[in-house]
Formats: sequence, C-alpha cells, structure tokens
Amino acid sequence: MGLLLIALFVIYPSVRTLWLSLFDKEGFAGVSNFIDLFRDREIVDFGRFLSREPPWGALLHNLVWTVIHLPLTVGLGLVLAVVFSKVKSWWVGLARGAIYLGIVTPLIVGGVIIRFLFEKHAGLVPQVLGALGAGAPWSAGWTAYPETALLALVIGSVWLWTGFSMVLHSAGLSTIDRELYEAAQIDGASEWAQFRHITLPLLRPVTLVVAAMTFLWELKIFDIVYVATMGGPGGASNVLALEMYFSAFRELDPYRASAIATLITLFSLPVGYWFARRRLGR
Amino acid sequence: MRSWWRVLGVLAVMGALSLGAWAAKLVVIGPWSGDEAKPFEAVLAAFTDKTGIEVEYRVMRSEDLGKVLPAQFSAGMAPGDVIFTAWGWWVKKFADHMVDLGPQVADVPFGFLTPIVVEGRTVGIPYAVWVKPGFWYRKSFFDAHDLRAPSSWEDFLALLARIEAVPGIEKAAASGDEVGWPLSDTVEHFILAYGGVNMFLGLTEGTIKWTSPAVRAVFADHIIPYLQYASEPIEWTSAKDLWWQGKYGIYFMGNWLTGMVEDPADLGVFALPGAKAVTGGTDYIFVPKYTKNVADAAKLVEFLMSKEGQEIRAAGGGKLAIRTDISPEAYPPAERALIQALQGFVIVPDMDDTIGGEWQAAFWDQLKLLWVKPDALDDVLRVLDEKYPKG
Repeated sequence: MGLLLIALFVIYPSVRTLWLSLFDKEGFAGVSNFIDLFRDREIVDFGRFLSREPPWGALLHNLVWTVIHLPLTVGLGLVLAVVFSKVKSWWVGLARGAIYLGIVTPLIVGGVIIRFLFEKHAGLVPQVLGALGAGAPWSAGWTAYPETALLALVIGSVWLWTGFSMVLHSAGLSTIDRELYEAAQIDGASEWAQFRHITLPLLRPVTLVVAAMTFLWELKIFDIVYVATMGGPGGASNVLALEMYFSAFRELDPYRASAIATLITLFSLPVGYWFARRRLGR
Repeated sequence: MRSWWRVLGVLAVMGALSLGAWAAKLVVIGPWSGDEAKPFEAVLAAFTDKTGIEVEYRVMRSEDLGKVLPAQFSAGMAPGDVIFTAWGWWVKKFADHMVDLGPQVADVPFGFLTPIVVEGRTVGIPYAVWVKPGFWYRKSFFDAHDLRAPSSWEDFLALLARIEAVPGIEKAAASGDEVGWPLSDTVEHFILAYGGVNMFLGLTEGTIKWTSPAVRAVFADHIIPYLQYASEPIEWTSAKDLWWQGKYGIYFMGNWLTGMVEDPADLGVFALPGAKAVTGGTDYIFVPKYTKNVADAAKLVEFLMSKEGQEIRAAGGGKLAIRTDISPEAYPPAERALIQALQGFVIVPDMDDTIGGEWQAAFWDQLKLLWVKPDALDDVLRVLDEKYPKG
C-alpha cells in the first residue's frame, strides 16, 4: 500500500515533471529547456555576481542563501542547545520557546513578520541601525533595496529555522552518557575540551542530519520570499522555487517550470542519496 | 457501544445539515476585504433580500486565484460560483472553463470597458470601475500650508519642494507598494501625461519599445526628477495611514481610496499638469462551468449588472458604476466630485492589467528597483522590453 501511494504521489509526478521538462510548445525539445535556463540571467548572472549588487540570478541567490544560512542555523542551534543544557535559570525556557516559535510559525506568517521587521517605519532593525547612525539602505526598508533584500530574507529565515537545529541537537545531547563528562572533569578537561572532544563528535550524526535537512529546506524556499519581497526589487531576492512559480502561474509555461523543478530535484538528489545510504547503514 | 452510535448519528445529522446549507449558498469570491468590501456586501445583501438566495462572500486576490484555479479547472472543479478578478488577460486564457454570460448583460450599456468575448462567448463581465485620477492630498493640509494643485510641470516640482519643506514631512510623496502595483499606476499616469495616449497604447500593444528615446525621455525628464521627492516603496495601506497622518503630502492612488479614509470630504485630487487621459480598470466577473449553481449564479450576475445593483454599489463609494446610465446623484459626494474632475479626460484601460502574465510581475518588480535605484533606468527599460509577451 505504501509503495502504491509513493508511486502515485511521488514517482508519477516526478517522472511526469521530468518528461514535461523535455518539451516546449512546439514539441520534443530535448535538454534545450535546461540549456536555456543556464543562459537566462534570471537563473544565473555571473556577470554581476560579486561585482555589483543583486540580482545575480535565482540559482546564485539560493547558493548565497545556503552559504550564509546553513552554517548559521546549524551552528547557532548547536551552540544554543549546549548553552541551554548547561544553564539552569528561569529565562532558559523563555528563550528556548522564543527560538522554537520560529519553526511552528507558518512560513507565510514568517514572511509577513520579516517584511515588517525590516520595514522603514515599523521595523526594529532599520530603526536600531538608524539610531546607531547607519544610512540607507541599512536604516531604510531592507526589503525595498537590492543590496539588502536577500540579506533580510536570509536573516529572517535564520530565526525561522534555528529552532529546528536547536531541538534536534538538544535531543542528541540528552543521549550522551553523563559519565563521559564526569570522567573528563576528573581528568581536568576544560569546558571547551569537553565540547570539542565529547559533545561535537558524539553529536556529529545529528549535525549531519540537521545540515542535510537545512540544505533541502533552503533549496525549496518559497513562501517567505513570495510574501516578503516577491523576489524583488528587480529580481534581487528571487529564488528557484519562486522562478518556477512565475513560469507556471504567470507565464503559464509548464515546460520551463518543469525544467526548474527538475533542476531543484537534481540538486537535492545527492542529499537524498546520502540519506538513503545512511538508512541502509552503508 | 450505544453511546458511540448516538454520537455518530448526531455527527451524521450535523454533517448533512451543514452540507445542505453549503449546497444552498452561492459562493462569491472577490478581492475586497475590510472597509473596501462593505459596499459590495451591501449589494449581495440586497440580492438575498430580493431573491431569497443566500450568498457567502470569500476574499481571494487575483494572485491567489491564479494559483488555485488552473488545477481546480483541470479537475472539473471551482472554489466559487461567481468569481471576480482584475486580470482580464487571465480570463481570456481560461475562457474554455467559463460560462457564457452574454444573455445576462445583453441590455447593459457599457462605457469604455466592455465584456471579454472569446469565440463568440461572453466570459468576463466588467463590474465596477476604478480610475487612477492622480495625486490625492488632504485639503486641510494644503490649506494649512497655503499649497495649491499645480498647473504646470515646474509648478508640480515647486509644489513637491514646498511640501518637503513643511516640518514633520519625511518626503513630499508617499509611494505605496503591494507587489509593485501602485508604482505601476504612477508610472502609467506619467506616460499618459508626458508621452500621450498613443505612446501609452503603443506600449500596451507592444508596437513601441520601452527603450525607445521618447519613452526613455518620459522617465528621464519626469519620473526620475519626481522620485527625488518620493518615498521608497511602503506597504500601500501603511503608506496611506502615514500620508493621512502627515508624514507625506501627496499620494498616488486609485479612487477606492475614498472608501478607505476617515473623512472623504477632506480629499482633493489633481492629475499631472498636461494630462488629458487617466487609466481605469475593473474587476471581471466570471462563472466557472463547474459550478453546480449556474442558474443562481447567472441570476446574481444579472442583478449585479442591473441598474438597481449598480446604484447600490455606486452609493457605497470607492468605485464608479460600469453602466453609463447611472446618475451622478447615485454617488456619495467624494465620487460626485471625482466624476466632475474627470470631465474632459479620456479613460484608457490600465496597462499592466491588460498585458498581464509574467510581464506584469516584471513591470511591478522593475519599478520597485527604479524607485530606489533611479540610475538603473536603462536596465529596467531593457528588462521590460525583454519580458514583453512574444507573438
């Protein structure tokens, strides 16, 4: 039964999407949709990348998102989990709840929060930076400027996802045998040494799972971009999933949309393969 | 065990009742919410009083409908019986899934906006008209600072400078943003005023390039100088509040603004000096083929387009009637003043709603960029040409 459901709701749509991506309005097109994608400035714009402010293309925006977001959320989640496991105080539960709130917040709502958090008049971030003497765009509406729109979304998404990393690392911490720490303390190991030689290695499997899940989350990011910036201004915060939406529902071009969907799937395949190997214990 | 049967029985009865109630109701989907929806809800209430047909109103914007409906249509379903969308281009694309409403509007005297007819079938009916007459201001603010509506371009620039010099003013003009559309309205107004109706229609039809020197000149000579006095894009209802509170002096918006402010009598509006035309648009009504209440839906459409239905809508303000036989007396004072102010103006269909598709989204997005980076003008115009629908 399970296999039938997977075939119906996962395998068939995937194969159908792949099949569609090989066509255009005229008929069979081979891989030309994919070649066109990599020639499209909206997908990749190496000419601007790092030399001018965004837009750099949806694919590069996803990449930038991953480079900033992945280490921040995984690292922050780990650090917070360790700190909260050591500190016994009334505010720990409160702080843990506030961070965890991010992952139970629907991403659409998260997008609205990000929009207002970085808004010129209502937003906390520009107000604080303005008070510290920063000029535009830092003290203006971050989502209105190409230099800051993507960064605003990435920072907002760190809050929305760090709770996930923190919870999994907290669960991982609770499985580590306390005797290991006691033995280390008897041997005179410092807190840092205990973290480096006990906590970090024993949490490695959890950290890898968190990193993999985070990477997949970053690849399919859509909701917060759609709500907070709609990929703008001028495409400066566009991402692959939003570009797929524009192709499918604005351009009404299912072939290009399928090619982008296939591209996202191809990028996620190595992570899926790694997961499968772990499940099989290889 | 018995109690379980009782619970199941009660649930079955409740389910049947709620299903029955749902089935009997007409579901109407439209984009208006809050204060903006009230005048329309009054029309629906009048319809129910007259026919006894219950109507449930649900809010869904064109953007959201655009995502939901293609899949539902493919499955032979629809989320509502009577649906409104501002996207005429979208109605044309999905005309095969819509009921022919020709008989319901055969006698309606339409103005500059007419029904969408595809292969002889009337699939989209323009409902109420909105126009974008120009820049709104508070009369009390202008009076307090001895400001007047401008009569020339130089006057307009001087007005902006004087507004900006008023203590407490952040920028002379507020720039509303949603997904970029209030900015597109402003740009369309500038094109009509300083490029003319032919340029506007040429751009809409794709016979004139955005990168052509004449179009570029409208941007370089008028829009970019204006941007020095305009705020960065701000969520449009927040921008409205800030403008009303006195952070900004003028605000470009459609006439639905009259239904969204505390005191519509304090509103004044002026078009850009030299403008002979303004843009207008509508929300199109369509009935999906898959509704089970086609007859009732058709009755509602007939009522909405009747003189009675249009007069009730007109009385609520915020929109103008689509019928040309509605007297100015049917409107509240703010709309009457607007009708007076529009005398002598040509009304042309809103550009981005006419072209639609990916170009519309690109237009909105590129203008958001232009608003904060005026030096990106040439890139913006190039993208608008590239994105224009092919064929």
